[in-house]
Amino acid sequence: MSRKAITLLMILGGLAFMIIGYFSSAPWGAESVRNSNPRFDFAPALFVLGVIIAFSSAVVYELLPTREEDDGAGE
Amino acid sequence: MTTEVDHPSARSDRLPQGVGDLTTPWKAFVLGALVVLGFGVFAYIWELSQGMVVTGMRNVGSMGGASWGLYITMVVYFIGVSFAGMTVAALIRLFNLNDLKPIARFAEVLTVVALLLGALAIIVDLGQPLRGIINLFRYARPQSPFFGTFSLVIAGYLFASLVFLYLSGRRDAAVMARYPSRLQWFHRLWAAGYSHTPEEQARHRRTTFWLALAIIPLLIIAHSTLGFVFGLQVGRPGWYGTLQAPAFVVLAGVSGLGNIIVLAAIVRWAVGAGDRIEMKVFSWLGRFLMILLFVYLYFMTVELLTLLYATPEVEKQLSDALLGGRYAWLYWGSVALLVISAVLLVWQVLQGRWRMSWLVAIGIAVNLAAIGKRYLIVVPSQTHGTLLPYETGSYSPSWVEYSVVLGLFALGALLVGLFFKAFPALPLSEEEVMSDV
Amino acid sequence: MTRYAMVVDLDRCQGCRACMEACKIENNTTESMFWMYVFRFEEGSFPDTKMSFLPRPCQHCHNAPCVKVCPTGSRFKREDGIVLTDSDRCIGCRYCELACPYGVNYFNWQKPEKAYYSGEGGIDWADPDLEGVTGGAVPAYKNPELDKLWGTEKRRTAGGGHAKGVMEKCTFCVQRVEQSLLPACVDTCPVTALRFGDVDDAETPISRFIREKDPWHLLEEAGTEPNVFYVGGKPPSHAYKEVERPKARAAT
Repeated sequence: MSRKAITLLMILGGLAFMIIGYFSSAPWGAESVRNSNPRFDFAPALFVLGVIIAFSSAVVYELLPTREEDDGAGE
Repeated sequence: MTTEVDHPSARSDRLPQGVGDLTTPWKAFVLGALVVLGFGVFAYIWELSQGMVVTGMRNVGSMGGASWGLYITMVVYFIGVSFAGMTVAALIRLFNLNDLKPIARFAEVLTVVALLLGALAIIVDLGQPLRGIINLFRYARPQSPFFGTFSLVIAGYLFASLVFLYLSGRRDAAVMARYPSRLQWFHRLWAAGYSHTPEEQARHRRTTFWLALAIIPLLIIAHSTLGFVFGLQVGRPGWYGTLQAPAFVVLAGVSGLGNIIVLAAIVRWAVGAGDRIEMKVFSWLGRFLMILLFVYLYFMTVELLTLLYATPEVEKQLSDALLGGRYAWLYWGSVALLVISAVLLVWQVLQGRWRMSWLVAIGIAVNLAAIGKRYLIVVPSQTHGTLLPYETGSYSPSWVEYSVVLGLFALGALLVGLFFKAFPALPLSEEEVMSDV
Repeated sequence: MTRYAMVVDLDRCQGCRACMEACKIENNTTESMFWMYVFRFEEGSFPDTKMSFLPRPCQHCHNAPCVKVCPTGSRFKREDGIVLTDSDRCIGCRYCELACPYGVNYFNWQKPEKAYYSGEGGIDWADPDLEGVTGGAVPAYKNPELDKLWGTEKRRTAGGGHAKGVMEKCTFCVQRVEQSLLPACVDTCPVTALRFGDVDDAETPISRFIREKDPWHLLEEAGTEPNVFYVGGKPPSHAYKEVERPKARAAT
């Protein structure tokens, strides 16, 4: 996969994790026990992971060698 | 391009900017920092074993104390300082402020170190620190302003700053890796095969541009969240208010810039870089600081006038304590430091001449004022700001709190001192990069 | 839907503070920790002074600021209206204490075993004569119900364990309420200044009492929607001065 594709995937994946993580964490409100528990444990960790993945895409973009010169042989 | 060890053109074994050169003054500094840090660690272990009763904090209201004290003051202060470092580095990148390029790296390092200290300051303030770390990752609630502080500031902003620092340093790491030294493995690792080709440079410029662009909104959200920790609490007069978030951001800029100025002066002296960090840099920093100071003083004036004109009964007790009572010395002292700093900055702008000694003094003064102001935000609203008419309370930090906080400062100094013995503080010049190519 | 509430009749409260004692014994709170707290106020200056009393339990607010700010969800509100703290999950950040306008939260600053009125001039729990009587329990009136997991949510919310480094506050005696008993303070009050019950059911005695009277809430303007109603008396202003505060050693 090309460098640009991986970078884009990481940014989108990171954003996806952030959205899922955020909305799976304890819902806003102060009415019931539901407001004190996330939908699944460590949902906030997923949010943080999403932030980390999204920013790591910058490292990937800069570090991964381009294969544009390849003639398409092999992977 | 080779990065081999015995390159004939590597003139000497001496790395640029004193990297790897463990001088005696440096060793003495490290030793001193370790001693203070050690004492801080001892104090914290004492706090862990005995409970937080060894601090000066007590429950608000019927126990007549303050439950958040020096530790939270330092949390807000450190995170505030981290704001300016990365902002300056990002602005330098976004607007190609070439005059300021020399200070970009230690501005980034300042951000990373300050954030680490902020995170540690939160941990030492928790009653159950280990549980705190795990439970935040496990259960954190987005509705709590702490969620933003924990996930965006500590996790997000810290990581993003590390990425920015890493990528920005690759070029210099590649140069450093040419020299035979004990740190060569570290420099090679950091450089990760950087070659100074035009394509690589272009790619690097693109990456850091977008990274800087992405960091700025993260920064603003993160620091506003910190302001919200206080500004959303209806139950705490002096905290509840719409101005908290903006004022936090501005004072963060003030204290951070003050730190950068002091750091720049120290680096300039330690590395002998009078020609690299020209007075132009200080002139720019000084002007930016002056503008932010004026904005902050404007906020303070508005707040003061509002208090003097009309105060709800409940806030009167609080504002009396701040302006004329128990906390007056700290309030007016901080205001004086800020005003004097602003005046000295204006003076230098008008004269067109910047004095290093004044600038360092200003840098230290605005930081002291920032700590004072943070303390004034955190504590008086608890001792003198209860909505129900409890007796007024009191709080003064104990030796444990002072030791831990001093230990944190020592840790910060140590980390910065160690880092700049392993890596150049100033970006290497084009000549140094292009030689031996 | 059940909604537990308390009514405090200020026309009856005589400031004896028996409710504070009962709460302390039932819930094993440590020194200076007063889940139920009774203010003694003085208005005016001598000789035109007036004394009044104000019991202040946790208000179990419907729009509780402490629940909103808790970073880990250890402070939560149950469907029956009671606001509780899960001492297994609390990380001791004390944000709930800062957010509460009423000052009802207490933090365990040290190991509770060290904070039961021991120390100089206090009780020596290790005294063999005493130990013979208490069986080594600290405090002597240790309540085993506090350690259990309560509610359908099965969380350790009755203040159980009183661990070092966690928050706690009035629980409306959840361990008693779940066994169809009244909270300790309500049960003890000699003059029926405190009442407790389900205000969602219009036919309970407490609902009828509220309908007869003209109740008000503490700090109505804070928007917390408390579940503690006050009848008689008037809301305390800052012209009131707190007097005769309970003198506790307060872990100095």
